[in-house]
Amino acid sequence: MSSFVVDKDGNKRYAVTVNVNGSDYTKVVKANTLLVNFLREELDLIGTKRGCELGDCGCCTVMLDGKAVNACIVLALDCDGREVTTVEGIQDGEDLDIVQEKFIEHAAFQCGFCTPGMIVSSRALLNENTNPSEYEVREAIAGNLCRCTGYVNIVAAVLDAAENL
Amino acid sequence: MYLPDFEYYAPDSIAEACQLLSQLGEKAKVLAGGTDLMIKMKNEVLAPEVVVSVKNLDQLKKIEYVAGKGVSVGALCTHNDLVKCDVLKEKYSSVSNAARQMANNQVRNRGTIGGNISNAVPSADLPPIFIALNATVKLVGTKGERTVAMEDLFTGPGKTVLAQDELIAEVIIPDQKMTGSNYIKFGLRKSGALAVVGVAVAVQVENNVIKDARVALGAVAATPVRAKKAEDFLKGKTVSDEVLAEAGVIASGECKPISDIRASAEYRTDLVRIFTKRALRKAIDEGHV
Amino acid sequence: MKQDYSYVGHSVDRNDSYTKTTGRAQYTADLKFPGMLYGKLIRSTIAHGRIKSIDTSEAEKLNGVKAIITAKDVPSMKWGLSPARFDENIFCIEKVRYNGDKIGAVCAVDEETVYKALKLIKVEYEELPAVLTWQDAAKEGAPQIFEEYPGNLNTEIHHHFGDVDAALKDAYYVRTDKFQGQRTYHAFIENHCSTAYWDGDRAFLYSSCQSVHYIQYHLCRVLGMKMGNLTVRQTNVGAGFGGKLDPSGLDFAAVILSKITGQPVKMFYDHAETFLNGRGRHPMTMELTTGVDKNGKILAHKFDCVLEGGAYTGLGIASSYYAGSLLGVLYLIDNYKFDCRRYVTNLPPCGAQRGHGQPQPRFAFEHHIDLVGEAIGVDPIDMRLINARKGNSITTAGYEVKSYNLLGANKMARDASGWKEKRGKMGVGRGIGVGNGGFVTGAGFCQYRTDYPHSVGMVKVFDDGTKAYVYSNAVDIGQGSDTVLMQMAAEAMGYPYERCQMVTGDTDLSTLDFGAYASRQTLMAGWAVKRAGAEVKKKVLAKACEMLKASGRIKEGFGYLDGPLTPEDLDCVEGIVFVKQEPAVKLTFEEVARKYFVDHGVLLGRGWYHPGKLGGNHKGAAVGTSPAYSSATQVAEVKVDMETGQIECVDTWDVHDSGTIINPKLFHGQVHGAFYMGVGETIWEEVLFDKKTGKLLNGNFAEYRLPTALDMPPVESLTLDDSYEPNGPYGLKEVGEGATTPTMGAVANAIYDAMGVSMTDLPITYEKVWRALRDKKASGK
Ligand SMILES: Cc1cc2nc3c(=O)[nH]c(=O)nc-3n(C[C@H](O)[C@H](O)[C@H](O)COP(=O)(O)OP(=O)(O)OC[C@H]3O[C@@H](n4cnc5c(N)ncnc54)[C@H](O)[C@@H]3O)c2cc1C
Ligand code: FES
Ligand code: FES
Repeated sequence: MSSFVVDKDGNKRYAVTVNVNGSDYTKVVKANTLLVNFLREELDLIGTKRGCELGDCGCCTVMLDGKAVNACIVLALDCDGREVTTVEGIQDGEDLDIVQEKFIEHAAFQCGFCTPGMIVSSRALLNENTNPSEYEVREAIAGNLCRCTGYVNIVAAVLDAAENL
Repeated sequence: MYLPDFEYYAPDSIAEACQLLSQLGEKAKVLAGGTDLMIKMKNEVLAPEVVVSVKNLDQLKKIEYVAGKGVSVGALCTHNDLVKCDVLKEKYSSVSNAARQMANNQVRNRGTIGGNISNAVPSADLPPIFIALNATVKLVGTKGERTVAMEDLFTGPGKTVLAQDELIAEVIIPDQKMTGSNYIKFGLRKSGALAVVGVAVAVQVENNVIKDARVALGAVAATPVRAKKAEDFLKGKTVSDEVLAEAGVIASGECKPISDIRASAEYRTDLVRIFTKRALRKAIDEGHV
Repeated sequence: MKQDYSYVGHSVDRNDSYTKTTGRAQYTADLKFPGMLYGKLIRSTIAHGRIKSIDTSEAEKLNGVKAIITAKDVPSMKWGLSPARFDENIFCIEKVRYNGDKIGAVCAVDEETVYKALKLIKVEYEELPAVLTWQDAAKEGAPQIFEEYPGNLNTEIHHHFGDVDAALKDAYYVRTDKFQGQRTYHAFIENHCSTAYWDGDRAFLYSSCQSVHYIQYHLCRVLGMKMGNLTVRQTNVGAGFGGKLDPSGLDFAAVILSKITGQPVKMFYDHAETFLNGRGRHPMTMELTTGVDKNGKILAHKFDCVLEGGAYTGLGIASSYYAGSLLGVLYLIDNYKFDCRRYVTNLPPCGAQRGHGQPQPRFAFEHHIDLVGEAIGVDPIDMRLINARKGNSITTAGYEVKSYNLLGANKMARDASGWKEKRGKMGVGRGIGVGNGGFVTGAGFCQYRTDYPHSVGMVKVFDDGTKAYVYSNAVDIGQGSDTVLMQMAAEAMGYPYERCQMVTGDTDLSTLDFGAYASRQTLMAGWAVKRAGAEVKKKVLAKACEMLKASGRIKEGFGYLDGPLTPEDLDCVEGIVFVKQEPAVKLTFEEVARKYFVDHGVLLGRGWYHPGKLGGNHKGAAVGTSPAYSSATQVAEVKVDMETGQIECVDTWDVHDSGTIINPKLFHGQVHGAFYMGVGETIWEEVLFDKKTGKLLNGNFAEYRLPTALDMPPVESLTLDDSYEPNGPYGLKEVGEGATTPTMGAVANAIYDAMGVSMTDLPITYEKVWRALRDKKASGK
């Protein structure tokens, strides 16, 4: 059980340690802190976006222990001791990940608001399945809504990335 | 949007969890994947004072085949666990396929079958196929365990027979005489859509004669329901398009859907007719798909 | 006319590629300032009523609440985007006009406190009967929503060119059809957000918007500020599609609250509130009558249209005009009558959404004309070929159309899609359909009255020549305007694109542009930066000429030069200045620019654009007149489940007549996205309200169903090689909005081909199809 302190208003604040993009961060948060706000407010990782906040649009997608999830409906406390990968953690140092490169090459983004989530979902898919069919790509990103691109170039980019893994 | 304040516990054992639930009573809510609970709290439908996270109850995360008992699916298995599970894919693809049609990938990675069942929404996708396969649910509480037939679990929209201190521990799909099963979900788009209707069937067909049949309908009544008249009609019949079509007509007469922003009652009723027929055909021709 | 260019016509990567794919791109909601407060609007919970009292006392007592404001604390001047109809206040004065109307604002130390404070604010109303449909609004004795709109009639338009009645009398075949459009919504994923702070008497506002200029103008007008004292800035914008053009309540509130509190204030919407902010597509009730001759040539057309406007005018007057003004651009129609009314109702205001006012009328016309063709035995594509406009012509309404190749688009789409083999031959449940569309490339007038140029550009070359800054407040909302503007500026300068940098989204630092709407930026801001680039080039060539002469390199061996070397003998391409006849004699742009800086200071180029006087003299000609018109044809193929009514769009083709394509990969992206919105609106999307309370029912992405990646078909986007627009820089014209306009018609026509029942009511949901098929069966046809 995580340890806590009680604040002036009588609310418990809990210590939580999450491994984000390879580093452990320990913070003291209220129980109602959502993972998306933990990342954005506590760690300044603004790549994880807030859109619908109800699990419908996917712009807040991060990997939790390697699996794509919506950070807007996950409690930070539920991630205690677990690994989170955000879009900022997709690339390897200076080098862009192949998914990012292919997104650029295919112009698979416009306004870019869905893009971090889209890239995380795509990368999570390729981690599990290095040779996805077009249907599998579409299925993997069906929880990531994009109003700008009609997904056409996104699907092409992910398939191209898979071929060049 | 924001979540109201609450206290958080993450017990390490089922017993501890039940104990907590029993102590806290109405004030507490179980948190599994949160894909229902978080939404309800954000939409101000629920405001529990305490949230009991079951994330540490690893023993509820297994899917296994136990000879003589059947396939046991732990309540904390996620929808994608069902999609990817070899045991299920081999024995009951119909269950994996039902899970695959749910929500979207991110939600399937978080949402659990325990949550899907105890949430008791009429449109939930898993109960119909479990009911068609005559599955049972193991509940654990401070007073011990009990097993309830899945179809007896639901008492109304959002209501189940679970006591305040009880957890769903596992779902058991018993060994089957049924030779095929299938679930068809009809949503208003191909992903991220709740079922407008869901039809699950299981059939036992020998020499082209239907020995037994179970038909379970989702999203067309206050709880998932069985279409018993259709089942009775099917028993003993030789398979034909006419028979399956007639079963569809009978099943559509057994549902009591409502009209809402997604669909009218009239439409839902006719969809039951169409999908009962189609699901039966699939289960008869292709087995547990 | 086409030339080989270094950058124009090339699929260069977007300038924001790195930031947007790595999560580093900042949107307004990502900005943090020391001491920043968080705020939200107080919204009406009833559709129509008088505010009796607002009790904020409990909320004020809440720890962390910093300020609460309502109408009494803010200026009462009305504003709006239609100059003739200023009818909106910052916060409601006396009356609320829709469930969700803006009553006030709260700010506090953190988000959570804001939400808690909102719950403690009590507003008492005297409820008035609400009107939620235009039919109710138009009824005799209906409750009046605004004093200034008797009968709730917000505007009416009556255009009549030629003599429709006479022409209909002579027609071989006359047909009337009725259509209904629905209310849809832009559905960008980034919610509006505005953050403001003050420094002395100067305010700074970051707004997630489509036009920094209009936000600045309207805020200053209402708040009584000098425009020089309000800086409006914009970072990345998570798309707009028309929904971020009007100032939102957040913009006003952020500026006022940060003044009151002396701290930066971030105002933000949740997703549902972006629906309440509204400004999406108007539901239109449409009746069309067409008379044709034996061959299908249109002799006369009558279009009657009613728009359901919601509570305020916004851009609704322009939407109304656009509903009827562009048909005559697509098709040759000598006799045309357009009657239109817009009513106000107690729902969130409607406004401009991609294709502004046009997509629903296009849907209606494109389906109607198929039905006309069917009745006289003419193939849909032939119907369009017979009636399509050709370039270098003038419309009945007096609009001048230069390049226009709708004919070519139709033929190319026909051939690419296999139309002849497919149409009517695919069997029950499968179908193919065609639709035409197109749009203006920028409007002829500013949205308020001014003689300003529409776009101003500037290029500043860095001191040592290693960078060129391209200035324009054109707003990149995702369409890629920054990239294409830099491509054009680089081309004009003869400087490497890779070393250009955009200076934009800042009313202080950058230069005027009216913003992202009416598909205007690529042409208008394009002209401005192209001209600025050209001026830089001129200065560079002059300086280079001087340098070459001084260097002595030019004296000997250049016998072919008549007289002394002049700047006209030089050119500059991709950063190299050279003698045209002797390219080996060259200087780098960099060294020339550096020398220029040493001798004269900053190397600057300036450019501007004003469309001048354009065609059309009738009342309302301003909406529809444009320097250039795109045209487009789309073909869609669908499957319909003849039992359940489920529709699947399986394949699509688009041919867009867009002039020179500045960046093909960005261009195709616009087509894909435009089709996506169109197909979503055809089958899935509709904003729903409770029929009694006017409460929003589906302000979320679960029930406002955008197509997912599994629903969206592939799109083959094709272009016409010889398209060139003389009024556009480098021969370009629009794509962003025009490509949404043919979609609904194409998809609806494909559905008709598949099921044999005409669907006239948008969206064409599965249930509506099911019902239509059932009724058809029942009637035994
Ligand atoms: C975007 C989106 C799409 C969705 N689409 C679908 C869909 O297509 N089909 C569908 O059926 N559902 C859908 N859902 C609903 C939801 O995902 C599922 O019902 C899911 O299975 C819930 O599981 P959970 O673990 O997330 O539940 P939680 O939210 O954690 O819990 C739900 C309820 O069950 C209780 N509970 C959870 N576990 C147990 C347990 N072991 N014992 C006792 N009580 C328990 C909780 O207290 C709570 O009241 C969707 C949800 C979202 C956000
Ligand atoms: S913001 Fe999390 S899914 Fe939309
Ligand atoms: S790029 Fe704008 S939402 Fe996807």
